[in-house]
Amino acid sequence: MNRKCFVILAMIVLFCIPSQAQTGSKKKRPLPYEFGRVVLNNNATKYEMTPVVFEHWIHRSKFTCRVCHVDVGFGMKAGATGIRAADIERGYYCGACHNGRTLNDGKPIFAACSNKKLTYEEQKRCDRCHSQGKRVPSDFDFFAFTAPLPKERFGNGVDWEKSEEMGLIKPQTSLAGFTPKNPLVVQKDFDLNAKVEGMPDIIFSHKKHTVWNGCELCHPEIFMGVKKGNSHYSMVDISEGKSCGACHVTVAFPLADCQRCHAKPVHP
Amino acid sequence: MNRMLRATVVVCLLAGFMGPGAVLCAAQTGSHSTTPPAAQAPAREAWQKEFDRICSRTQEAMSFSEEELASLIQRCDALAPQIEKLDETRRKVYLGRLHMCRGLYAYVLESKRNQKK
Repeated sequence: MNRKCFVILAMIVLFCIPSQAQTGSKKKRPLPYEFGRVVLNNNATKYEMTPVVFEHWIHRSKFTCRVCHVDVGFGMKAGATGIRAADIERGYYCGACHNGRTLNDGKPIFAACSNKKLTYEEQKRCDRCHSQGKRVPSDFDFFAFTAPLPKERFGNGVDWEKSEEMGLIKPQTSLAGFTPKNPLVVQKDFDLNAKVEGMPDIIFSHKKHTVWNGCELCHPEIFMGVKKGNSHYSMVDISEGKSCGACHVTVAFPLADCQRCHAKPVHP
Repeated sequence: MNRMLRATVVVCLLAGFMGPGAVLCAAQTGSHSTTPPAAQAPAREAWQKEFDRICSRTQEAMSFSEEELASLIQRCDALAPQIEKLDETRRKVYLGRLHMCRGLYAYVLESKRNQKK
């Protein structure tokens, strides 16, 4: 009898512990094609439109971060820019490219929908971006597009950096009418000491980050510290979206990919 | 010659009935321009030229002297009221961008001053 009780008790404990552990705030890891997705709903619902689903993966393969987040003026957080349909119609924000004239791979990029009364065809065009919860065919299929690109374990499952190095993607570094002409001055890379003993130090590539982001995207809004060594970064802050976390939580390779940053050999 | 005349008449009629915008649109439809409408203005306005001159130098910020940086910050401050007067869209876009440029120059200036200490 005692033995039976013990077995039942043990089974209860075995089944309950994992389920208890999962009741916390564990977030679902996004699927490769969902990583970087942003839902924009500044005014859409207010005007009885479906919110916009923005796919970072396709846009990042075509442009550097700087083009959109500095030159075109998109904020770094969803909703922060306060984009209106009127802005887009005037050729700003999404309208900087989605105007039916700007070319991509020799083909005009579809125009964003307008505020005017819409025909059925125009309505279909609106759905290409105002697509939350809809099944909308896209010009780019994630799996087909990423198939030839080098793989990575996390995020989109793509090593975007390597893809660019190999010439498989060629992100544009400027957009006519938006990017002021400026020579790119490449900054030097530097090390950051890891706080945890035994954890390899971080090799921060200023060079790569300057090419993609320019200077003003990171300084001073995201990285305020002026003197090297005066700013202290913690993984908790980063995972909350501060400093490196502004990009490396939701769009650039995620924090789970430790070795990408903690890359300095421990025994040189 | 006749064709030329006919084409001229058609263009004039279009301009007369529909305004110059229609002719401009018609001219643009086949051009596959990569320039956005905002940038297709006949001439860049004075504020925009000054904006380009200031903000096109952010990548070189580290190589500027303290005086140059201070002057760029001053120019940002002088330009802001002009951008404030623009329509809502351009105000939003360009004030945001100007804020970034100014922020960077101020950041670099502070960093240079700190290095001296």
